[in-house]
Amino acid sequence: MIKTIAKPAEKKVTGCGECRSTCQSACKTSCTVGNQSCERITREQKIEKK
Amino acid sequence: MVHVFSYHDKRYIYDTGSGALHECDDKTARYLKGEPVEISDEELKETLEAIEGLKREGLFDAPETEARPIKSNEVKALCLHVSHDCNLRCRYCFADEGAYHSVREVMSFETAKAAIDFLLRESGNRKVLEVDFFGGEPLMNIDVVKRTVYYAKEEGEKLGKRFLFTTTTNGLLLDDETIAFFNEEMENVVLSLDGRKEVHDAVRKTVNGKGSFDAVIGKIKKFVKARGDKHYYVRGTFTAKNLDFSKDVLFLADNGFDSISLEPVVTDIPDLQIREEHLPAIEAEYEKLCDEYVKREAEGDPFLFFHFHIDLEGGPCLSKRVSACGAGNEYFSVVPNGDIYPCHQFAGDKAWRMGNVFEGKLDGALRKKFAESCLFTRKKCGGCFAKFICSGGCSANNYHYSGDIDEPYAMTCAMMKKRVECAMHVLAERKSREKS
Repeated sequence: MIKTIAKPAEKKVTGCGECRSTCQSACKTSCTVGNQSCERITREQKIEKK
Repeated sequence: MVHVFSYHDKRYIYDTGSGALHECDDKTARYLKGEPVEISDEELKETLEAIEGLKREGLFDAPETEARPIKSNEVKALCLHVSHDCNLRCRYCFADEGAYHSVREVMSFETAKAAIDFLLRESGNRKVLEVDFFGGEPLMNIDVVKRTVYYAKEEGEKLGKRFLFTTTTNGLLLDDETIAFFNEEMENVVLSLDGRKEVHDAVRKTVNGKGSFDAVIGKIKKFVKARGDKHYYVRGTFTAKNLDFSKDVLFLADNGFDSISLEPVVTDIPDLQIREEHLPAIEAEYEKLCDEYVKREAEGDPFLFFHFHIDLEGGPCLSKRVSACGAGNEYFSVVPNGDIYPCHQFAGDKAWRMGNVFEGKLDGALRKKFAESCLFTRKKCGGCFAKFICSGGCSANNYHYSGDIDEPYAMTCAMMKKRVECAMHVLAERKSREKS
């Protein structure tokens, strides 16, 4: 049995560089890109919700 | 590459190339790991078909070759060390209790203004810029913080650019006026609090050598209450003295803080330093925290623990994931005299000085070194399942422990991997609840 829990959203753009600087989040010692979100996807989702 | 791992009785498959997470049964997990397993022909056929299906969807053993680091010379963010002085004397402070191995001083508005001008000038077409007020203790220079915010907003507006501000503070000087200013202007506020009073007081001392817990807890609570739904983090540090740190995270949650980060200490002070022999206890503690975290979410009493949040669906693209943190290329620290360093953790080490905001130019060789540093220059990361999540770790930590920004430190890696597995379990449990 294998069931998919999560898969990445289909992204039309990669490497746009809109994402925030990684070290500007919580910890300033071990912040990681994996804890971040894609700014563009987040923005598009907000627009869709509206 | 696929990573098969267990969390209690759950078995998970994380596909490094695609970032997909799957759950499987124990037999499938054993089969994929090449362990001895009794599996019938029918079961094997079913498993292989499922794998082939996922491969066709690009969700199993997906290729990693498409990832290329982001190439940009645009500066996105500055960490402004507005105060190289502090009103606390925390034993583990990487910044030499605020002085950064130099004189105690604060940044003038002229220097802060020059730093903002530098950021605006070097930011190219980027519309959103980030400035973090850092120290020492930035509230010891709050007037410069305020003037800098107003100046940046005014100048940014002229160029069609917007600023996101963050302040990192120990909370000791928080008053009503500062709380109101922060809630008006700061996109994020990071407040330092280590957890239980005895844990906090053992390391976070006042100038007079007394514990600072009682002096800050009320102020931080007041701030968070006034913060509403705006971003903040209560951020602590754990050391070898509190390897039972899940109690500190839960203490913070029980005190009404719902956005929490607790980081392993970076120090070589013998009684505080985290060493290899502590690793089994730390891993067990992350699991203990993860179990309680999942339980509280299920009971409708959730809080956010920074390291248990991993966005596998809307997270960064692979290009960002291989580009590392951006220190020394898109993110810099500026110290009170205007000197520029790759990030706050390099500040004060003259070997890493990259320029000065009044000179307006950066050391080309050093910037090239940081710009080229990415997951692919971190050779040890090649076979690691977590590489697209941690991007090879913190350049400064790598340098301080291994002498090379591209050489990851094994202890940091081990803790990171455990946190990532816990985060994936949290996600799986959440998804399962949502479905049911």
